[in-house]
Amino acid sequence: MLSAALAIASKDLRLLLSRGTGLVQALLLGLLLIFVFSLSQRVGEVMGPQGAAAIFWLASAFCQVLIFNTLFSIEEANGARFGLLLAPVPVQAVWLGKGIAGFALLLCAQAVFLPAAVVFLGQTVSPLWHVGLATVLLADVGIVALGALLGALSQGQAARESLLSIVLFPLLVPVLLAGIRVGAAAFADDIPEGVDSWLGLVAAFDALFLGAGIVLFPFVYGGEE
Amino acid sequence: MLLRLTKVAKFYGNRLVIKDVSFEAAPGTVTLLAGPNGAGKSTLLKLMAGLSRPSAGSVERGVAEDSLGYLGHQTFIYPELTAFENLAFWARLHGLAPERCTEEALLAALDRMELKRFAFERAGGFSRGMAQRLNLARVLLLSPSLLLLDEPGTGLDTRSMAILHREIAAARDRGAGIVWISHSVAEDLVRADHVLAIAEKRVAYSGPAAGYVPEAVAC
Repeated sequence: MLSAALAIASKDLRLLLSRGTGLVQALLLGLLLIFVFSLSQRVGEVMGPQGAAAIFWLASAFCQVLIFNTLFSIEEANGARFGLLLAPVPVQAVWLGKGIAGFALLLCAQAVFLPAAVVFLGQTVSPLWHVGLATVLLADVGIVALGALLGALSQGQAARESLLSIVLFPLLVPVLLAGIRVGAAAFADDIPEGVDSWLGLVAAFDALFLGAGIVLFPFVYGGEE
Repeated sequence: MLLRLTKVAKFYGNRLVIKDVSFEAAPGTVTLLAGPNGAGKSTLLKLMAGLSRPSAGSVERGVAEDSLGYLGHQTFIYPELTAFENLAFWARLHGLAPERCTEEALLAALDRMELKRFAFERAGGFSRGMAQRLNLARVLLLSPSLLLLDEPGTGLDTRSMAILHREIAAARDRGAGIVWISHSVAEDLVRADHVLAIAEKRVAYSGPAAGYVPEAVAC
């Protein structure tokens, strides 16, 4: 299953990076969000670390919606979804493959958003940046696990694409909250209180979303139209 | 037995598509699946492939998952990848043995479809015929024991049709069972051993191709 998932992920990454459109749109949306928020500040005003972290995660969340819409639309052009379903591997390999590709693309996008947040929102990178990085990695696991599950719902119909955003964001709230709270450490000089609890919360939701993906994906991505 | 359908019925919502269909595919035979437009032939083929579940009855496959080849209306091609990359992806996904995934093996498969000189061109620039030949290369690379074809000849030029017919005959000769929906039943009857005709949501004819008269079942 892992070999099939890696085949799907490497194919998706090659397609998206060669075509560029899906990732560029997602990057531009995120950068636009950060830039627009930067305009809301008065001259000389500095945004708090938590505010900056919130904008960073907002950009990441919107970005991943576009990423997963693009990743799943790849299979729709010539009916390749049926080819994936006919392959002699568990259908969860598709979920895992899309998740791996989404994780890599989201990290690429965040590697752009982070310096953008520093520059446009007047932040400095603190010596505790590794805590922020760990939070990003941990939260991203949950975000892509859920994104790869719900992204499969979004294929084909515009109404379903809207559904992705509507269903996804409320479910992601706990992970995003923890990301904002602990992720702010990357912009501040002190570690917030209860960091263990927040990271524990993210890990718990990661496990929940991973479990949900493994169990529910075959029902979402089945052959029935 | 490669495939057995027993009293299969399929509903889409409240709409009955097919009912009471029983059929068995044997190795080394070509079965032509005939019937008017909307008779449920493609639905039946998807049931055979496992892409859809029957509402009633049973579908039993006597072949391993990796021994089933399905060629539908759609080409399963990624337009941004080259023909070679497309084939390499499907070979890797199906977990083919390393000796069947080598560059030589993949180029040989493309050569058989007369696509070798286009191997490193983007598949998005291919004509319908070339895309379908690439699709056929994908399916035949798997050496399937059971080959399900849903109007594979639609939109193909004369040369592509000749290649398709050659490969169907070759697959039968090596013992594969083939179920084939053809858009020109009268022409393809000579290439078939059996006919399963669907009309009025039921089996209208099931028997030797020689005894099948298309007009008799309004096909």
